[in-house]
Amino acid sequence: MALTFAKLKLRTLRNGFRGRPAKILMFVLGLLGALFYGALAFLLFLAAMTAGHDGLALAPAYGGTLLALAWLLMPLVWFGVDETLDPARFALLPIPKLVLLRGLLVGALIGVPAAATLLATSGLAVGAAIEGGPAAGAVGAVGVLLGLVLCVLMSRAVTSGFARALRARRTRDLAAVVLAVLAASLGPIQYAINSGAQSVGMDRLESIARVLGWTPFGAPYVVGQDAVAGDWAAVAGRLALTAAVIVLLAWWWSTSLESAMVGSAGDGGGSGTGPARAGSPTARFFRRSRAPRTAYGAMLVRELRYWLRDARRRASLITFAVVGIFLPVMLNVGPAAGDKQLPMAVQLLTMVGVGTLASVGIANQFGYDGSAYAAQVVAGIPGRLELRARAMAYSWLVLPVLLSVVALTVVLRGHPAELPAVLGVPLAAYGTGLACCLHLSVWGAYALPETQNPFAINTGTGVAKSLLAMAAMIAGPVLAAPVFLLAAFGGPVGSALALPVGLAYGLGAAWLGALTAGDALDRRQPELLAMVTPKR
Amino acid sequence: MKKFDTKLAVDGVDLAVPAGSFFGLLGPNGAGKTTTLSMAVGLLRPDAGRALVLGHDVWADPVRAKALVGVMPDGVRLFDRLDGTELLTYHGLLRGLAPDVIDQRVTELLDVLALADAGRTLVIDYSAGMKKKIALACALLHAPRLLVLDEPFEAVDPVSGATIRDILTRYVAGGGTVIFSSHVLEVVERLCSHVAVMAAGRIRTVGTLDEVRGERTLEEAFVEIVGGRTATGSELSWL
Ligand SMILES: Nc1ncnc2c1ncn2[C@@H]1O[C@H](COP(=O)(O)OP(=O)(O)OP(=O)(O)O)[C@@H](O)[C@H]1O
Ligand SMILES: [Mg+2]
Repeated sequence: MALTFAKLKLRTLRNGFRGRPAKILMFVLGLLGALFYGALAFLLFLAAMTAGHDGLALAPAYGGTLLALAWLLMPLVWFGVDETLDPARFALLPIPKLVLLRGLLVGALIGVPAAATLLATSGLAVGAAIEGGPAAGAVGAVGVLLGLVLCVLMSRAVTSGFARALRARRTRDLAAVVLAVLAASLGPIQYAINSGAQSVGMDRLESIARVLGWTPFGAPYVVGQDAVAGDWAAVAGRLALTAAVIVLLAWWWSTSLESAMVGSAGDGGGSGTGPARAGSPTARFFRRSRAPRTAYGAMLVRELRYWLRDARRRASLITFAVVGIFLPVMLNVGPAAGDKQLPMAVQLLTMVGVGTLASVGIANQFGYDGSAYAAQVVAGIPGRLELRARAMAYSWLVLPVLLSVVALTVVLRGHPAELPAVLGVPLAAYGTGLACCLHLSVWGAYALPETQNPFAINTGTGVAKSLLAMAAMIAGPVLAAPVFLLAAFGGPVGSALALPVGLAYGLGAAWLGALTAGDALDRRQPELLAMVTPKR
Repeated sequence: MKKFDTKLAVDGVDLAVPAGSFFGLLGPNGAGKTTTLSMAVGLLRPDAGRALVLGHDVWADPVRAKALVGVMPDGVRLFDRLDGTELLTYHGLLRGLAPDVIDQRVTELLDVLALADAGRTLVIDYSAGMKKKIALACALLHAPRLLVLDEPFEAVDPVSGATIRDILTRYVAGGGTVIFSSHVLEVVERLCSHVAVMAAGRIRTVGTLDEVRGERTLEEAFVEIVGGRTATGSELSWL
């Protein structure tokens, strides 16, 4: 049965590539990149096992933990999980739950990230075999395999758990939940980075490694070392811990899987039927909004409503809010910042990053709509108008977050005089980023699968998505460089001028971007519709 | 003409729909009806050829052409996280109607299509037939000169079907033109003034209903034109 699932997955993958050379190219590029990093990590881990160097010997615990955390966080903040095998598709088939779970797990294990992880961590097993003979090697291999299963299961369980939470009715308390969870998970990373950065003595690092080795994150990767050292009790303990966590995760995943399968009739559910509102249809449509009663106003209001009602869009907004708020906190308080403050230029550089990040959410705006975009095509909406309304609606929601990031930064740094620069730079970066992402949304849109999980994407698009977004995330900051240079190196005058200049620059860039991308959109409407229509 | 990869979905269709006609587009599954209609309204770019709507080229002068057409595509999602009233209002605004006109038409349409109670439910929670009806309402809202409907009678209940037939008949009587694809031959026979039959991407027959049908029923004519198979009784004997 598991074999059937594996075949099914491979076949869906292959069919997805048929006749789409660009997608294949992206996939190959991603594969090569993954192989490169996987091989690099393989060598590191191999060296860690065989070199006998004190510092290197800590690599399994730290490296393994980082890997596991990456599996946990990456799908949430960035990549999404590959739902080529969408659980809802199996709802009607008489497959026992355990079999289904195993099959889906096998399906999930087939993929580039899993292969790269396996390649990297197998260095541990090989190293253990070299150092401690076949028995140690076997233990190392078991640890590596269990670690991989743990990572994959964790990313599945957490994303589908989150998906369930994000579907619930009230947006606000939900955001709080997500914030709390992410905050909690960022804490340890921050702690680890900070302690590393402060170059505490070897003892400290070792004691942390010891703790990490007994968390489910690090445990499966350290067993090889234990086996080499002949500490079989520790081996048994760590493997048991890992296995127990795997069972727990599997159980959690199966519960959320069930709800993913039954509830597939209508995803979202959104805010449901609101309280009966009196008034004419247009009054009901606009509610208290003062948007003009035109096509532009209608699109503006609809976009605003969609950013709040669509779980995927909501997830991307929340992600930005979390990252945006935590970046300044992490950089300016906590042990990393120490007593000396971040240099202003570096701080401004991070603000460029924040501004760019704010604009990225719009990069696949048409993908969120899917085939519903046909309504816009049929109505013959001019591209410029369309993009202007969309950018406006998005900014309406994102700019307040951006402003609070700025406010937080200024408060944390405690220099009100820096406000113009700290505000002007991210505004400029947001404007240029918006221009790039508007173009990206017209040229590089991709369809999202019609599933419940807001973090789900199709295989292959993960790579495409990140490559394209990477291009936009480089182009945006580069375009915003003049304002950054002015604010960072222009002395007090430049710093004061940064606000008006940054504002004008950002506005101008966004305006130009909307114009040029709008013209492109006019020429590409049917093609764009085809790109964002999910293939079923 | 439209080619998907190597498959020629629609091959040299030349179809003139007389203004004021009630035009039925028939054909077996996969004949290319949806593809043809999509190319005619600007949803799918043809590889070759043009589409004219009341003299305006859909691909050269889309704004003018699209303003005259109301479209109900098949298999396309709606902006389904709006409720029924919001969706209709949205479409009205997109088409540039004045707010008071929208208010009046939306209320009336929801009433006639028996969707008034569902006006506050998100469209995503609608049944298949309700989705069809609200999509039809979206196409009708701006009182277009031409209606292009892809399978409007699929999944709707008999009462609503009768209502839709009624609306469309009145619309044609008032000078509008309707072209729709359908598999429900009884409805086509009852409503249409003109019929075209497609198969494998080509128009096989086109003309007024009587020309196409001749002495037979429409169903017999259809089967003969597309060349259907007759059961021998030996297949599926295990069933
Ligand atoms: N996006 C697409 N990619 C590839 N092939 C397609 C695509 N859309 C349609 N086709 C092919 O084009 C042909 C015509 O499809 P079309 O949807 O126009 O048929 P139809 O007459 O509407 O059928 P039905 O009665 O089932 O709705 C089919 O063979 C179909 O496989
Ligand atoms: Mg069709």
